Amino acid sequence: MQETLTTNEKPESNKKDVIDEGVEKGLARLTPEKISTVINQVLTKETGARFKVYVETCMRCGLCADACSIFLSNDRDPKLSPAGKVKQTILEMINKKGKVSKQLLKDVVRIAHTECNVCKKCSMYCPFGIDIAYMMTLVRRICHKLEITPLYIQDTVNSHSATMNQMWVKEDEWIDTLQWQEEDAREEFENLRIPLDKDGADIMYSVIAPEPKFQAGLIYQTAVIMHAAGLDWTMPSTPGWDNSNMAMFTGDFEISGRIARAHYETATKLHVKKIVMGECGHAFRSVYDVGNRWVGWAMPPVDLVHAIDFYHDLLTSGRIKVKEQYKKTVTLHDPCNVSRGRGLHNKAREIVNILCESFIEMTPNREHNYCCGAGGGVINCGPPWKGSRMINNREKKEQLERTGAQVLIAPCHNCHSGLEDIVHHYGLKMEIKFLGDIIFEVMEKTIYQKDS
Amino acid sequence: MHSFINFIMGPMVWISFLIFFIGVIFRFFQVIKLVNERENFIYTYMSFKYSFRSIFAWLIPFLPVSTRKSPVFYGISYVFHLLLFLIPIFLLSHVALLEESMQWSWFTMNDAVADILTLIVIFSLLFFIIRRIVVPEVNFLTKLSDFGFILIVALPFVTGFLAYHQFFAYQWMVIVHVLSGELMIILIPFTRFFHMFMAPFTRAYTGSEFGSVRHAKDW
Amino acid sequence: MINKKPWDWDSEKKEIPVKEWQERFNWVEELSVSPDGEKIASIVNLDEAQFSACVNGEIWEETFEKAWGLRFLSNGNLTALVCKDEEWTVCVNGSFWETRFDYIWDFQFSPDGSFMGAAVQKDGQYGMAVNDRMWDELYDNISGVVLSCQGTSAAIVQVEPLGQGDIEGFSRGIFSIAVDGIAQPEKFMNIWDLSFDSKGKQVASSIRKNRIDYSISKNSQAWEKNFQFAWKPEFINKDTSVIAPVRQGGKWFLFKDEAPFWDKSYEQFGQLAIHGDGKKIAAIVSDRYGKWTVSENDRTWALHCDSMISTLFYSDNGDSLVAVFKDQGFWDIAVNGKPWNLKADKLWNPIVSSNSEILATRMEKEGIFYLVVNGKVYQERFDMIFEPQISPDNDKILLKAMKNGIYLRQILTLDKVL
Repeated sequence: MQETLTTNEKPESNKKDVIDEGVEKGLARLTPEKISTVINQVLTKETGARFKVYVETCMRCGLCADACSIFLSNDRDPKLSPAGKVKQTILEMINKKGKVSKQLLKDVVRIAHTECNVCKKCSMYCPFGIDIAYMMTLVRRICHKLEITPLYIQDTVNSHSATMNQMWVKEDEWIDTLQWQEEDAREEFENLRIPLDKDGADIMYSVIAPEPKFQAGLIYQTAVIMHAAGLDWTMPSTPGWDNSNMAMFTGDFEISGRIARAHYETATKLHVKKIVMGECGHAFRSVYDVGNRWVGWAMPPVDLVHAIDFYHDLLTSGRIKVKEQYKKTVTLHDPCNVSRGRGLHNKAREIVNILCESFIEMTPNREHNYCCGAGGGVINCGPPWKGSRMINNREKKEQLERTGAQVLIAPCHNCHSGLEDIVHHYGLKMEIKFLGDIIFEVMEKTIYQKDS
Repeated sequence: MHSFINFIMGPMVWISFLIFFIGVIFRFFQVIKLVNERENFIYTYMSFKYSFRSIFAWLIPFLPVSTRKSPVFYGISYVFHLLLFLIPIFLLSHVALLEESMQWSWFTMNDAVADILTLIVIFSLLFFIIRRIVVPEVNFLTKLSDFGFILIVALPFVTGFLAYHQFFAYQWMVIVHVLSGELMIILIPFTRFFHMFMAPFTRAYTGSEFGSVRHAKDW
Repeated sequence: MINKKPWDWDSEKKEIPVKEWQERFNWVEELSVSPDGEKIASIVNLDEAQFSACVNGEIWEETFEKAWGLRFLSNGNLTALVCKDEEWTVCVNGSFWETRFDYIWDFQFSPDGSFMGAAVQKDGQYGMAVNDRMWDELYDNISGVVLSCQGTSAAIVQVEPLGQGDIEGFSRGIFSIAVDGIAQPEKFMNIWDLSFDSKGKQVASSIRKNRIDYSISKNSQAWEKNFQFAWKPEFINKDTSVIAPVRQGGKWFLFKDEAPFWDKSYEQFGQLAIHGDGKKIAAIVSDRYGKWTVSENDRTWALHCDSMISTLFYSDNGDSLVAVFKDQGFWDIAVNGKPWNLKADKLWNPIVSSNSEILATRMEKEGIFYLVVNGKVYQERFDMIFEPQISPDNDKILLKAMKNGIYLRQILTLDKVL
């Protein structure tokens, strides 16, 4: 049941009362020795110059506060400014030399896992460029090692570790889904294929596990786009097909590395030139910027192309042609991990302008966007935290409302789910779409010929 | 008394600067050692182009969005940081002392101008104190030591101002002025004052990651 | 291994037209060529939900509702995973296995092609099938299936039920290794990277004991020592020892039977290569962040690359250590540390002659396929090249390629190529 709120009715924050079984059971097992050992191990053995310099350089000027939409959503609650979160977590641990109480740890989990989207916007607002998202990830690393990570996200990490995908999708279910979508998509083109394990294809297309699990239609759409564009592509039948990575967000860097390695090795085994990935932001961050680093690949060893980049290429090269522009008024949400994380925001705008008749900007935008509120693994902490997440997303809701657009385009899965929650919760009249949804709707369903 | 004043205005100045330089070198050595041992990947991502792009962007007043969100604080802070260096370096009486002892000299500013600028510094510091008390998110972050830092910076300026105008106890004012100035110089490498050296590097690293890896602006 | 002597090493050129298949069938899928180059085949669509395999223009008598994974085995058998009457099985040269499944995937075969195995699902239960025989015991889930040269099979299986979001149950360990269908009693939190010994009897793996402790298991017996992480282990010394890359104190080491084996530590490890039962051991390693090289018996090559090394292996006689690597965006091959400088967009693993003197492979550069022998690029351009072969006398190359819709089987004398 969704509760609809108007702007003026702000519920009392009851964030501190949230019961997360994963956290509670984890805390119950902890001993003071274990707590201090783990904290000191992480803070002294696993950190280096960055951590030391960040802690010693911050002048506590508070300029980072205005970056944070969670801070803004809570009437500028000082406890929710980026540096305020560092003060209540890392600085407490340092001051107490790791000897912190379970009550403090409970707050620490809440702050690091649900009150920070690790969106990195604050490092653009700090005059010194201090990376507070890195500090919050360190806190999550401590929670991971103490085994007090919120239950829902831990379950997805468990799934990652056992199946190399986020949603316990079994190996046969994956292939079966692709074959089923291939069959269905023959509605559009009778000889359409989703080529499995095609050795030497130009493109390996990878997705996140929620697609085969809940949104298989997105694979259908992509297959149609690929087919119409006349591309040489494939999808792998083996684990490594999932590009998502929740381990990166719980500080389980080991599993995060194994996931990234599986992904790139899958692509390499198929001898593809590049990996094209669906509209997901955190997955992009994981394979482009985080997981690969743990494996020792300074940059992606196989060219990695996000859907925005890919669509932009298809539309500007004429491989996909627009039959008739989309009529409804649209606005665009910039996903942090591909705008601040990869500078794709201008290409996204060009795509929207090609596809749609009427585009309304939301502000702030591009690198300065507000996070959808779901990112950084926050939505993945699950139902127990949804109420507080909605409170923390008030600023985003107001930003969406100001646009007055009928359709909200969000080229990222996490953003999509988060914005979906905001729209329902606050009763906004907005449809949420992927870029792929709109391309599928407005494209000419003919196969690209080089000479045409 | 005379010999004490001679000491603090002579050898003690050298000792302060010696401690300062050794401290700075030591701190840098410490950081570089840590990078080499633990985070050598940092070198891979450091880029001259994007380091300087970021630093320059942040030196242009009110270019970064962040600075436009807090224009008063940022504006005062910008002027304050400039004056913090300009006043002591171009003050006539400082240069005169140097010329007397070392025969070094350079451009100096008019005393009346220096007087006004000093007042600006003092008022800036007062503003910082008030901001730390009044603005909730800053107050939440503030520790006693943050006021301590402001006090340490304020002392040489206030005493210098009072000494120049010879309002009272001139000799004592000069002594406190010299000592507090030396104290600040000594403390720089060992306290958060060291941000004056580290900030360009943290900025450069973030600028490099944003620029060369993420193809995005960081201001 | 496969006897290549009876193959036709004399006919200079044979052609099979393939383009016309496009007109005969609704569509033609990926082409597959037999090791001897005499047959070319593809899955073809005959009608709605009606598929078959077309081999040299002839189609199999059987048709299927679905078919995928068509491939020639090293012994020349043509196999595919097919669905008929809503049941899945393996089809070999047009004949079905008798056993039927609800799904079948991850098809594997032994080097001589005599054993075929795959992961299977029946009634929501999971196992493996080898040469038409399904495991007696099936499990709630399966992953990482492997087939040994001797036809034994192993996989990671889920032996305890797991409720939704049951992180406590997961932490207790619900996975075990099943060998030929029999799950071992030892359960772990995670198991990866199963590795058979040379006789197909023992299995080693990397394991996770709890949230933060990783280790290696040999026949499901965990090493006592814990590590920060571990990659795939391998058997050496007549299958008595196990070596594995492990992480300690943030650095990677090669360990043998719980003790350090190589002296040096590395930034990262990739795959291992072993020759002569462990006389020569090499590994893909990174010795400084973002730079990759090969370490042979703990001594690194001078050659480094910035992207990745995808494959590392020894020639049969151990004289050549071959690495396929990517540097500055292009693929290349290095033999004993010397690069070929191919600048390829796509590059396959080379095959190596019995005397280690000839290495042949194929690459794609700007959309055009080339044959590459010992680093020399053969001038003729193709639309596609399949895995080449080297004659038993090491004097000829069998080139299998597509050009303008025609499949070409060519025998090239070595002097013509080099």
